[in-house]
Amino acid sequence: MKKFLALLLALIMVLSLSAVAFAAEGEEAVDPDSIEDNMTAADGVYKVAFVTDVGQLKDKSFNEGTWNGVKCYAAAHELSYKYYQPANGAEATDDDRIKAMQDAVDGGAEIIVCAGFLQEAALTATAIANPDVNFVFIDGWALADADGNPLENVAAVSYQEEQSGYFAGYAVVKEGYTQLGFCGGGGGTNPACCRYGYGFVQGAAAAAEEMETEVAINYSWAYGANFQASPELQTMVNGWYENNTEIVFSCGGSIFDSITAAASANDGAVIGVDVDQSLQSDTVVTSAMKDLKGSTEWAIGKFYDGEWDEVGGVGTVLGVNDGYVGIPTATWQLTNYSVEDYEKLVEAMKAGDVVVDATVLQGGDIVDVYADSDYVHINYVE
Amino acid sequence: MAFLVRSTLIYAVPLMIVALAGVFAERSGIINLALEGIMIFGAFIGVLFVRLVQQWGWFDAAKQAGDWVSLQGFMLLAMVTAAALGAVFSLLLAFAAINLKADQTIGGTALNLMAPALVLFLIRVIANQNTLQMATGDAASWFMIKKTMFGFDKKAQLGFFASAFLDKVYLSTYICILLFIVLSIILYKTRFGLRLRSCGENPQASDSLGINVVKMRYAGVTISGALAGMGGFVYALTTTNCSSNGDVAGFGFLALAVMIFGNWKPLNIAGAALLFGLFKCIAASYTSLDINGDGVFMLANIGLNSNFYRLLPYLVTLLVLAFTSKSSRAPKAEGIPYDKGQR
Repeated sequence: MKKFLALLLALIMVLSLSAVAFAAEGEEAVDPDSIEDNMTAADGVYKVAFVTDVGQLKDKSFNEGTWNGVKCYAAAHELSYKYYQPANGAEATDDDRIKAMQDAVDGGAEIIVCAGFLQEAALTATAIANPDVNFVFIDGWALADADGNPLENVAAVSYQEEQSGYFAGYAVVKEGYTQLGFCGGGGGTNPACCRYGYGFVQGAAAAAEEMETEVAINYSWAYGANFQASPELQTMVNGWYENNTEIVFSCGGSIFDSITAAASANDGAVIGVDVDQSLQSDTVVTSAMKDLKGSTEWAIGKFYDGEWDEVGGVGTVLGVNDGYVGIPTATWQLTNYSVEDYEKLVEAMKAGDVVVDATVLQGGDIVDVYADSDYVHINYVE
Repeated sequence: MAFLVRSTLIYAVPLMIVALAGVFAERSGIINLALEGIMIFGAFIGVLFVRLVQQWGWFDAAKQAGDWVSLQGFMLLAMVTAAALGAVFSLLLAFAAINLKADQTIGGTALNLMAPALVLFLIRVIANQNTLQMATGDAASWFMIKKTMFGFDKKAQLGFFASAFLDKVYLSTYICILLFIVLSIILYKTRFGLRLRSCGENPQASDSLGINVVKMRYAGVTISGALAGMGGFVYALTTTNCSSNGDVAGFGFLALAVMIFGNWKPLNIAGAALLFGLFKCIAASYTSLDINGDGVFMLANIGLNSNFYRLLPYLVTLLVLAFTSKSSRAPKAEGIPYDKGQR
């Protein structure tokens, strides 16, 4: 008996090891951009570093988009690169983030890209402690030390997500959808998600008004606080689709998995976020994008091209004028709404004829804005 | 209403089958606290199997051709794999508890601590992230049974029964229910079942009648591990889009509670699991529940705080336990290592 058990235990070990071996083979076929996530520098120095936000590196969205920018720039310029994930996942504290950033500095980083507004405190502390290292603060704003002096080694990049959300909302209502949903991450306090959501509703409202149709929107931050998929979220969204909701804007990293699962079960549609998510699920009709990859490369480029002065110590807001937000026309599944119409809208926004309110409406504040609207009915789901 | 039935089953079935897993172990005299750990491990194995097979492309042709029968077979294979490895994993507990006569609660806790760590470690090595997902597509498009498969039109309106039990369901749900019934009968109506149960009540007496207690206890724990491993995969398949992240949202512990709640009896367990599943489902979707079909979302209109609904499943469990725990009767010899000399 004992021998038999010892054999079994040995078998478990072998199985788990071989499982690892299989996966390592498959890895490259899955990854569309052929650049390795884990590069090994011969001298152990990693010059371009990336510190992730809440959520995972491969969240198919915010972190991954930014990481792709880091990777592509570094690979194209033959620089060594490495990512750092703060400990404790979704519950990461500022100390965990500082540790991750300091690890990056100690790893020889010249420039560290930090994604997500939650990194503010950690980034400020690390940037002050390491004045010789440069930082890019994605989704952030210009930082200052305790005396109010701007930190010259931090370049903040943020986006006009409201414009991107507006494009998506406008497009799907023009396409003929009238029962919409919005699921946001961050529990209703993440500024980027709030701007996306408000922009989305503004776009839908504008289109509804033009078409004189009524649009109903389920609007919720529930079960998305950690940007993670959950059975509860899937059940909730299942309930929406079950009750005639046609399309849901998935606005928050990995919650995408729960929402596409619900959509796929009910033949519903999904709007992706941050990056073009059409390849990840057949249910994705279009995506409200901000060009994380492009702008990350742009910011790193400023450093290596010696133009850091232009971005260091200030916050750069990228929007439709610079071509950093929009929806992908090549992969969208819209038939009634044409690319020409979309381009017209882009031009109108660039010219300032269409202005999108960028107010950050937290939680259920949006309900009050549309309380008296004839065209938009918001059902806020707590 | 059909939606409520469907979602309730999705929550209740993993609970039910894993609670039955607990019954098999405890009826044979071994406390299986490791249900959570085995579920986590089973979920990981099942998802890994699905992912690898997708990468090898074995079922690509079937998927392309819309051959849903083969895809269901694929899902069954994954369930069997998860069950097999779950059983192997549970042998660790059996070995510690039976051969080494170690404290069973400690052994179970050790597995509960080990499983998420091991699984997360492997996932990080395999997928370079914290979640292991399917290689392509989603669980619904690969494994879900929809009405279109039975020749109905996409827009066809089905009756209550058909739309609750034949549309947007997973075959795994019914397999688990079937297994649940078959295994309950085995436990209560066969010679093997009687012997197994006797080892959990008075192993010395069983031994004196020529029953091999060690063998019986190994059988109990192995069946337990297989069911829990399968339950873990079913949970991952139906509620988390076939992904594994070293977590099953505490369903293993809930199953333990359901087992005690159901007084170690299959019928009561099924009732308890359904009750819990129902409230869990109400909590997540009360804003879009149309109970009597008149287009009014009654629960949302009452105006109670959403946290109240989220509290309900746990509150109900506590309440029912408070009222029923007096009559609860655990197997007498559970948790006590078998000692031949103690007669």
